[in-house]
Amino acid sequence: MSCILDRNKPDWKAYALGEMAPAVRREAETHASACQECHAELAATRITLDALSTLREEEMPRRIAFVSDKVFEPRWWQRFSPRFSFAGAGLVAAAILVHAFVRPISVPMASQNPAALETQIRAQVQSQIGAEIDRQVQQRVAAQLSSAIESAVTKAVAETQKQEGERTVKLLAAAERRYAESADILNKQVGLMYAMNTGAGAR
Amino acid sequence: MIFREVEDRDLIAKARQGEVEAYNLLVSRWEKRIFNYLLRLVSNREDALDLSQDVFLKAYQNLPKLDDPGRFAPWLFRIAHNEAFSWLRRKRPETELAEEPRPANLGARMMPIELSLAVESALKILSDDQREAVLLKVYQGFKFDEMAEILDCPVSTVKSRLYTALDLLKTALAPSILPKEAVRGQS
Repeated sequence: MSCILDRNKPDWKAYALGEMAPAVRREAETHASACQECHAELAATRITLDALSTLREEEMPRRIAFVSDKVFEPRWWQRFSPRFSFAGAGLVAAAILVHAFVRPISVPMASQNPAALETQIRAQVQSQIGAEIDRQVQQRVAAQLSSAIESAVTKAVAETQKQEGERTVKLLAAAERRYAESADILNKQVGLMYAMNTGAGAR
Repeated sequence: MIFREVEDRDLIAKARQGEVEAYNLLVSRWEKRIFNYLLRLVSNREDALDLSQDVFLKAYQNLPKLDDPGRFAPWLFRIAHNEAFSWLRRKRPETELAEEPRPANLGARMMPIELSLAVESALKILSDDQREAVLLKVYQGFKFDEMAEILDCPVSTVKSRLYTALDLLKTALAPSILPKEAVRGQS
């Protein structure tokens, strides 16, 4: 049996998908209870949607690794407002550096609490300054330490070289002395042998 | 859903102020939905995962441009849609004939897992546009106007794609979902 509404019959897909306005929906339900064709069409659409709903949701192979990396973090000045320009942030930062410890800050941002903003800005400026000081101190300490080590090594090498030199001189002197003594003994022995052979010693 | 929106709004506000953990929480709330949406479009788990990663990175970078945090879901899916279709264009040039797998004819009275597989196959018969319309409506529960926003097209186009897709799916799934009596009558 064909639908008496023909082309004006309710949009059963919209009905099944929950996209029909409540008033129209009630009218459609009344019609479907009396129209076999529409009833069948609605049933078929519902069965199809039920079948589609059996598709299981896939588990992710692994979680999305995201922005724990510092590279992704916005700069401290970007945190005040998502649309804060670089120049604006620079100006505010300069103003903060001058006035931070003198008087309360008045930043023209209606969307944030001024007191909280001031606290946040102070904390961030102090944190920046602290980090800069730490960096410079670390650099200086490293430079001084490096210089001290180099100096100590140079001194130790010179000391060692000096000691080695003195020791070499002593060894050379002792060797020359022993050589001179050996040469003297050898001369005496040669002289004695000559005397014995020639009989010069007996006369 | 309303509570979820409220919490999302709060997380978005915090993420905009640079709280990375708030954004990570936002990612953990949406990653599975985005992943499944992309998976059904690109049909590859690793590609879907890579695309999901790109989607959340782009969303993070563009978070300041989100005018209404209450529209986060359509906005996020719009990014996902752009990523997916950009990927599909790269991977499937227009000259290439799209492979059209046929649905598995598993017969009537299936087990849920078998029916699920039949649905998975049947979805692959659809064009990318039609399949996406089904995914956004049936699996993600978006309204027609939200789908139009995501797909950047009129509501009439959304309805046309979706209705055609449902007709195709009804035909493709008929052997799997017909009542027992009808199957007996056919045999």
